[in-house]
Amino acid sequence: MKLLFHTISRIAVISVLFVIATTITTHAQDPRIRLAHLDYLAKKASETVDVNIDERLIQLAAKLFNDKDEDEAKVKKLVNGLKGIYVKSFEFENENDYSLADVDSIRSQLREPAWSRLVNVTSKRDGVVEVYIALNGSDVLGLAVLSAEPKELTVVNIVGPVDLEKLAKLEGNLGIPDLGIEPTKHKTKNEQ
Amino acid sequence: MNEEYLWDKSGEPDPEIQQLEQILGTLGYEPKPLDLSAEVQPRSRNRYLPLIAIAAMLLIALMAGALWLRVRSRTSPQLNNAKVESPKPQLVVPKVEDKKTNDILATASGKPSRDERSKVRQVRHPRILNASDMTASEREQALEAKEQLMIALRLTSEKLNLAHRKAQGASPTQIRNQHKVG
Repeated sequence: MKLLFHTISRIAVISVLFVIATTITTHAQDPRIRLAHLDYLAKKASETVDVNIDERLIQLAAKLFNDKDEDEAKVKKLVNGLKGIYVKSFEFENENDYSLADVDSIRSQLREPAWSRLVNVTSKRDGVVEVYIALNGSDVLGLAVLSAEPKELTVVNIVGPVDLEKLAKLEGNLGIPDLGIEPTKHKTKNEQ
Repeated sequence: MNEEYLWDKSGEPDPEIQQLEQILGTLGYEPKPLDLSAEVQPRSRNRYLPLIAIAAMLLIALMAGALWLRVRSRTSPQLNNAKVESPKPQLVVPKVEDKKTNDILATASGKPSRDERSKVRQVRHPRILNASDMTASEREQALEAKEQLMIALRLTSEKLNLAHRKAQGASPTQIRNQHKVG
């Protein structure tokens, strides 16, 4: 009986370790960030935007975009292939209604090597705006934007192959800016 | 002393040696079976032990898998979770059901005001495009998802725009004015 107990205990420990390791590995490669812990801020906020759209809903919504309409066609191309779009934005009446810990809880998930910070603008008066991108080699796995202004906290997480080129082309139509990210072009000898 | 006796017990025995033999002989090895008490006797190995161990491992793996799926399903988004809340009643504007999504797209540049967000929230797409095979509920879901998608893209673009302009050194006042005009 003792031997059986020991054997089962060993197997249980190994199984649990295996599951934990698998989960950690999976999460490490997942460009989705956890936002649920920010939900409590909705009570303090004067306005809340909470968007959770998974791949199925994106595909469903994409059916409604008119391919003949130039703007809609561009949006459709942009969202095609995305696996999820998650946004939480809180606007507050007063400053400091959210804590630095809330910002850090998001920032802690956006660390290397999974994430690379593209833009980081810090201002004492206007807060912080940070743009992150998740890469696997040259493939874009996701995008994250963290904006922490005195009276507003916004976190955007786009999961999937965000095409920055297409995103840049949408500038002006949807207010999506040109980030100055150009695809790398290898110059030919003649061009050089 | 006859050394032959010590060597192979041949020859004349030495009485002193014989006496020692008698005394120590009682402590010599006797070939008899080991007498173990019932408490320390080993039990026969359970032949079902490996099967039980495998079954336990499978059970644990199944439980871990079920737990993982449950956690995953909890964190996976539902349409009901896609919402825009505004506790302020004065922010709600009348429905603009007849307004086309193109109008929203055209006016999407810059930071949307609260009223604009409310408008986006209220818009119902009047047309169904390339979606004749969709059921009514799917259509409803798709419309709502599209609204959420547009809100998300607008908000994302707004923040990217903000980051871009700040990174390029534009003053925050200029940025805010641009949002208000836009």
